[in-house]
Amino acid sequence: MAGSRLERFGTVFTRVRDLMRTGVIKPSEKPIWYDVFEAFPPKKAPLYVKPHTRPYTKKQDAVPEIFYREDEVRAKFYVQYGTGPRPLDLSRTKSVSTCQRFVDKYTELRGHNVLEESALFEETGKALLTEGIMLRRRGVLPVSAESRDPVLELKLMDMLAEQQSVGDDSEERRETST
Amino acid sequence: MRRLLTFSGAPQASMAARAITKGLWGLRRGPRYATAASIQPTQLQADDVSDTLMNKPLEKPDFFRVSELFSLKDLFEARVHLGHKKGCRHRLMEPYLYGCRLDQDIIDLDQTVEHLQQALNFTAHVAYRGGVILFISRQRQFVHLVENTAQGCGEYAHTRYWQGGLLTNAPVQYGPGVRLPDLIVFLSTLNNVFQPHVGIRDAAKMNIPTVGVVDSNCNPSLITYPVPGNDDTPVAMEMYCRLFKMTINRAKDTRRRMELLHGLAAPPTDAS
Repeated sequence: MAGSRLERFGTVFTRVRDLMRTGVIKPSEKPIWYDVFEAFPPKKAPLYVKPHTRPYTKKQDAVPEIFYREDEVRAKFYVQYGTGPRPLDLSRTKSVSTCQRFVDKYTELRGHNVLEESALFEETGKALLTEGIMLRRRGVLPVSAESRDPVLELKLMDMLAEQQSVGDDSEERRETST
Repeated sequence: MRRLLTFSGAPQASMAARAITKGLWGLRRGPRYATAASIQPTQLQADDVSDTLMNKPLEKPDFFRVSELFSLKDLFEARVHLGHKKGCRHRLMEPYLYGCRLDQDIIDLDQTVEHLQQALNFTAHVAYRGGVILFISRQRQFVHLVENTAQGCGEYAHTRYWQGGLLTNAPVQYGPGVRLPDLIVFLSTLNNVFQPHVGIRDAAKMNIPTVGVVDSNCNPSLITYPVPGNDDTPVAMEMYCRLFKMTINRAKDTRRRMELLHGLAAPPTDAS
């Protein structure tokens, strides 16, 4: 069957249409998809686009970055509290993460009262605590003298010396008893 | 006077992998010979009927109601909007992107809905007219899925290594008189080394329209009906395969019903 193998000139449709007009493709050999394409053409003609050979640097990015107002709150939350003890389960679409709850409560409180940011942050933390969600700060662990376990203070040599003296005492007692 | 769009007169044998179970053999009309003047009226009637059969679906914008098969929410839940990272972006995909969230491209689902509707509509019409559809995907993880999809709708799939002259040298490789596919559906337009699949260029060379799922690192220029969307997530691929299978089956069922209605095809023996 006759055809045109020039994929870089025009589209599939224009080539077949022109071949039919000139009579190279007979009407009986019309492809099945021809009428369908004519009735429902695509949004953009499938023309071949030459690739840019020279390194072309675009002045501005055509694709905008996506950022929301709540991202500031989210960033502060993650810096202070971290990702939490449990991993995030994204398979359930309806599940709301701790961070999202925090952000919702923050926006709610901001709507009610006019406080400045850090105070509002603390308020949101307290509000979530009342609802039962524990927020543990990340990285900061309180280290005080009293809380250190006394076991850690023992030294190995002292322990051995103690054991030896205990052993001597028990030997002496056995000697005296028999 | 337009003739029927079937292969009347042309002795075209089937493609190598063509199964007889395709079921459309009975619909192939042989050449018609007008012998006497008395046959003319019935012949004209038959021609009119076949003309309406072919042209009636083209009048409505969505004859097969493919837009009911999916919604924007379904696409979102199947994670179709997730593209690759900013560095992998193809410059021709920029019009189809909604934005870039923390360096990951997000595909505009409003555009995807329109493109997918057009692509499914085209596929349905081609299947309605008895066209041969070939599914191509070079992603190893979806080979089984794509082959099952093709089997499920009675069409063909090619998910292995693409030999150079498959379409362009088909008469030599498969034998003379091969019938080439009328539509090629790319479920992923890249091959294993992240280059455009050779089939896109070959289909354009052989004047075969293509429908393809283009991700943010693909080149959509030569594809007739591109569908911008994610092609790496299993959920998304399963959704595409399901949609294509449903449209093709719907189109073929409609065709069988229309033929029965107009009395062109013999009713199946177990119907009585």
